[in-house]
Amino acid sequence: MIEVSALRKRYSDGTVALNNVSFKLDKKISAIIGRNGAGKTTLMKILSTQLMPTSGNAKINGLDVISEADSIRKIAVSIPQEARPVDYMPAMDCVKLYLAARGFGPKRARAAAEKALRTVGLGDAMDKVAYELSGGMKRKVFVAMAIASDADVIFLDEPTTGLDPFSRVEVWSAIRAIKGQIILTTHYMEEAQALAEDVMMIDSGKIFAHGTVDSLLKPFAGLVRVESSKKSRSSYRIGNTWISYMKKSTAKSLVGKDDVIKPVTLDDLFIKRGVNLES
Amino acid sequence: MNRKFVLAHAWLTGGAALRSNWLYMLTGMGFPLSLLFIVGVLSEGSLLPYALAGGLISIVASNGIFTMADLGMFKFEYMFKDLIVATRTSPMDYMFGVMLADFFWSIPSVVLYFIMDYAFHILTPYAFVMTLVVASLVLLATASLGFVLTSLVKHQRFVWAITGMLSLVMMTFPPTFYPYTYLPKDILWALVILPTTPGAVLEQGFFGLGHTMWSMFAVLVAETIILFLIAKYLTVWRER
Repeated sequence: MIEVSALRKRYSDGTVALNNVSFKLDKKISAIIGRNGAGKTTLMKILSTQLMPTSGNAKINGLDVISEADSIRKIAVSIPQEARPVDYMPAMDCVKLYLAARGFGPKRARAAAEKALRTVGLGDAMDKVAYELSGGMKRKVFVAMAIASDADVIFLDEPTTGLDPFSRVEVWSAIRAIKGQIILTTHYMEEAQALAEDVMMIDSGKIFAHGTVDSLLKPFAGLVRVESSKKSRSSYRIGNTWISYMKKSTAKSLVGKDDVIKPVTLDDLFIKRGVNLES
Repeated sequence: MNRKFVLAHAWLTGGAALRSNWLYMLTGMGFPLSLLFIVGVLSEGSLLPYALAGGLISIVASNGIFTMADLGMFKFEYMFKDLIVATRTSPMDYMFGVMLADFFWSIPSVVLYFIMDYAFHILTPYAFVMTLVVASLVLLATASLGFVLTSLVKHQRFVWAITGMLSLVMMTFPPTFYPYTYLPKDILWALVILPTTPGAVLEQGFFGLGHTMWSMFAVLVAETIILFLIAKYLTVWRER
């Protein structure tokens, strides 16, 4: 269980990355969604004891991130954004080295690494050096580290960024094999929808929506998204596209030839907030 | 200390890397062996024993300095440091792991130098033992310096710049390839700020090429302790 209260992070250059954030996460998989620079990585770094907060407090399974960091490090795993396995090391050695850092002896590390690499589908590639692995396989090496650690809480910072759709689905399946509570950050809405029971949306260091996918989409019940090149009443602008929400039946009769009707997704919470995810 | 991690890191990133890319090892040997050749030719062999004694210090120092390059790669390219900070491995375990891994690369050069020292009849059991002590101190001092500096820099390009400068300063100015008596005393004492200076001076004494200045031993021990304590307490591990 993750409990955060009035957490704030101000960097030395004055940037406020987190602004009095409070929440509780207790589901098996929770996703934190936000665009680049929203504060996701700062939050993950504080929760996984890599970064000190400016004020406020956070607890991981009842342990304080400031005063009980060492105990948290025993029960939690953090896989950083853009982490890469060391190029010249085989996948097996990468996992073994990480497990050694967590205090595993050589025999236990080997057995756990082998089992985890097989679980994520790298059974045939465990002796390949990292530079021979595809992008998806490299990410799976890190998921294998999380699985092999057998930790209670796992922080995954943008685990599928930069991967092709096929590799992403493969990594999702590997993530589902992790036993502990997972907190992952992403800017892919479909990833949050596919994996998480609990979704938290963050923008400019503030959480503006938190709940299950269904509860977050409740305000859009019965509506579709209409993308048009022309401005209409109560529409939101993303680049040269105007977006509005209406009932499916109304949309079908109103829209022009060039307009596009799409189902509502979590993206639309950001759109209504005026946040351009691609900016 | 997490010895499991230190040994695993030394073996998996040092030993494994050496097996997979042994050619890279020659790069580490390149600089000291080239200087040895130049000094030998220019002095018509008369300064070769000095260069052989000091070359060992040069190799070990270059090893310590290049620990910084690896630490930079692990920090900026692989995000490995971030991965490790969130475990119970301490900064010192991490530093020792990387330092020993890098030392794997130096072992062939060190062995080659000892063989040449033996061939030139300057190696004695006493010189061998004392060289191991001095080399260990120089390695720890330079690796500690590299560790602190890497924790402070914000980008890998600064790491390359600093390692380049440190290599030049640590290996060219101190008397690693020439008799320390060539230097005026005040300049020699000014250069003791670099751990390779007391290291090289001591080596010349242990190899019977000059008077053993035990004061330099005290300086080297003090420098090593200070740099190690700086690395232990001033390294930025958990970011603020």
